[in-house]
Amino acid sequence: MVDFGTAELTLEMIQASQLGMRAVGAGLAVGLTGVGTGLAEMGIGAAAVGATAENRDMFGLALLFTVIPETIVIFGLVVALLLLF
Amino acid sequence: MLRPERMRRLLIAAPKGEIETIIRELYRHNVYHIEDFVPESSSPEALSIGHPLPEASDAASALIKVRVIENACGIDPENVETRTKLPASKVRAMIRTDLPAIQKEAEDLIASRSRLEARQKEHEQRVKELEPFAAVPLDLELYRGYLRFTVFTGHITHDVVIDVPHEKYFSDKVDGNMIVVMVQNEHREQVERTLLDAGFQAIPVPDETGSPDERRKAHAEEARRLGDEIAAVNGKIAGIRERHADFLVACDELLTADVERAEAPLRFATTEETFITEGWVPEDRADRIQEALERATNGRIYIEKMEVEDDTAVPVEYQNPSFASPTQMLMDVYARPRYSEIDPTLMVAIVFPIFFGMILGDVGYGAILLGLSLGLRKFLKGDGAKNLLNVLGVASISSIIFGVLYSEFLGFSLPWAPLIFSRHLNIGGHAGGHGPQVAELMILAIWIGILHITLGRILGMLNARRLYHGRHATKAVIANAGWLGAMWGIILIIWAFYALPMMPDLTGSAITLPLGVVLLVGGVIGIAQENALEIVEIPTIISHVLSYARLVAVGLSSVAIAMVVNYIAIGMMIEPQLEAITPVGVILIIVGILVFLMGHMLNTALGLLGGGLHSIRLHYVEFFTKFYKGGGKKYNPFGMKSKFTEE
Repeated sequence: MVDFGTAELTLEMIQASQLGMRAVGAGLAVGLTGVGTGLAEMGIGAAAVGATAENRDMFGLALLFTVIPETIVIFGLVVALLLLF
Repeated sequence: MLRPERMRRLLIAAPKGEIETIIRELYRHNVYHIEDFVPESSSPEALSIGHPLPEASDAASALIKVRVIENACGIDPENVETRTKLPASKVRAMIRTDLPAIQKEAEDLIASRSRLEARQKEHEQRVKELEPFAAVPLDLELYRGYLRFTVFTGHITHDVVIDVPHEKYFSDKVDGNMIVVMVQNEHREQVERTLLDAGFQAIPVPDETGSPDERRKAHAEEARRLGDEIAAVNGKIAGIRERHADFLVACDELLTADVERAEAPLRFATTEETFITEGWVPEDRADRIQEALERATNGRIYIEKMEVEDDTAVPVEYQNPSFASPTQMLMDVYARPRYSEIDPTLMVAIVFPIFFGMILGDVGYGAILLGLSLGLRKFLKGDGAKNLLNVLGVASISSIIFGVLYSEFLGFSLPWAPLIFSRHLNIGGHAGGHGPQVAELMILAIWIGILHITLGRILGMLNARRLYHGRHATKAVIANAGWLGAMWGIILIIWAFYALPMMPDLTGSAITLPLGVVLLVGGVIGIAQENALEIVEIPTIISHVLSYARLVAVGLSSVAIAMVVNYIAIGMMIEPQLEAITPVGVILIIVGILVFLMGHMLNTALGLLGGGLHSIRLHYVEFFTKFYKGGGKKYNPFGMKSKFTEE
């Protein structure tokens, strides 16, 4: 952190640091939600492939189940975009 | 439109003598969906399943022969282009005269090919066996025939020292090394132990004579010669395919039809003298088929049109304008609509390309995908692939239109400012113009979500009236209205507190908040009266609407990738080198072009996957769950559209 005793904190520095923080926040939002989606889709995906192998007609429903957790990462992406712009 | 084709249930009864005429007539019209007769304990005892017509077994065995030849020659009727339709009578005559000869020719060729292949394998095996022996300067007959000596031949990890009188050859030129040791019989065990300690693996001596290297070359030569012969036979088989493909697929079609016709009685109920069949025909064809059957049998037939009682039993055929029919494939992936419910194909056909375009709004990618959908038509045959390519074609045209509106071409901007909201992310040094209007785009996406879901709920109310009866229907209608009320209630409450861009500013109005609360509470009660457990689903109102934000989010990420690729390829690699061209610079420029091509290829694939999957997912998950049940049976009329033959 900046030491207030020795350095003058200019407005530009504060703005730059905040911009950096926002970028970190945006990164975390996408990254962590991505991990969450991945974890959720892991089990569903395996089961869905199994079900489709048993019965080809299940494909549509299986795909649907698999993409349901996708919403989580989309929310992360939305939050990230709103943070950045 | 918006509902499947109307069906009529027919019951046909006639004396057994007319069975062939009736089957032929039904088959020719290709509209009658047979309801298979299943004998149940409750059905009258006199009824039993019919017997196939006498020609069934002949036709079936001929069909098997044709299929064997097709298989061997690699002919797939699905992928054969129709050149000329052969007349059925001519094909029938040719089945008697020409087919046995073709069959014999094909069988002989196949048999000789498999013989040649077996021999080729044998020789190749020999080559492999002789390989290690070629590294040892001994003729093969020197390895055997000794009474007082033992010969060890095999692989070994390293050379060994043997301390009894012996003769030894070692070579590390072959895989796994090769060792040959000859010792007197009395030292055999001792030597064997020494060898085994060094990881000795015995290999048998090939049963041949002469120099191993020469023998190996001879076998390799023989295998190569056999390979040539196999190629020649394959050429002859390809010749059969060239000459007879048209005839064979015509045979296949004709005989398949014969077999289907001959086996149709297996799906009928019969008594001693009569037979009965039930089935479905489209309503507008019912009269015509009835007349045709009566004329064909001179009135010796009884046909009754029956009412539709249970809508799950009715086979479902789509009824859509031609531009929407490829989208039926996307519906079938989810589930075919039930007979009495709304068929949303038309809505999907309109909204899917719009969503796709919104996500992948780029003239360049749109043009690439359009080219792909046109180009792949040559290679992908079959109905499913054709429909998919049609859907892709429409989606890519929409993507081009949105690309013009967004002013995007492979991540670059077109010479005009974006006509709607900008998605230019200003990545790389080429900042300029308006930055991305993310907030506006998000709200646009939310609006689309609100309207799409509202439409879904309204359809849900209509569907509830069609699918259920009595009190259940009323409850389901109210529950759908409740969901709608709850959603709009939440929206009004938000509007009462916050003024959002591109949304009505109702913060000043006193009526908004109370109205919102009333709608929300009323909505929740409406949901709960059908099923109290549904209350836990209420958060999905928000998550489903917000889910439409993917229309922007996924799109922006593809814009970002495109811009990054451009920046790396052009901004970082090509442009700096163009100022002063050096030999290293030329290489860098070539690498830059490669990066550009690879990056955009990857992004095209991602855009296709992202755009397609997310658009269809918004339909399947957010839209269909509001109203769509699905689970209709496919309408599968008895008959065939002849591709290769004509009567």
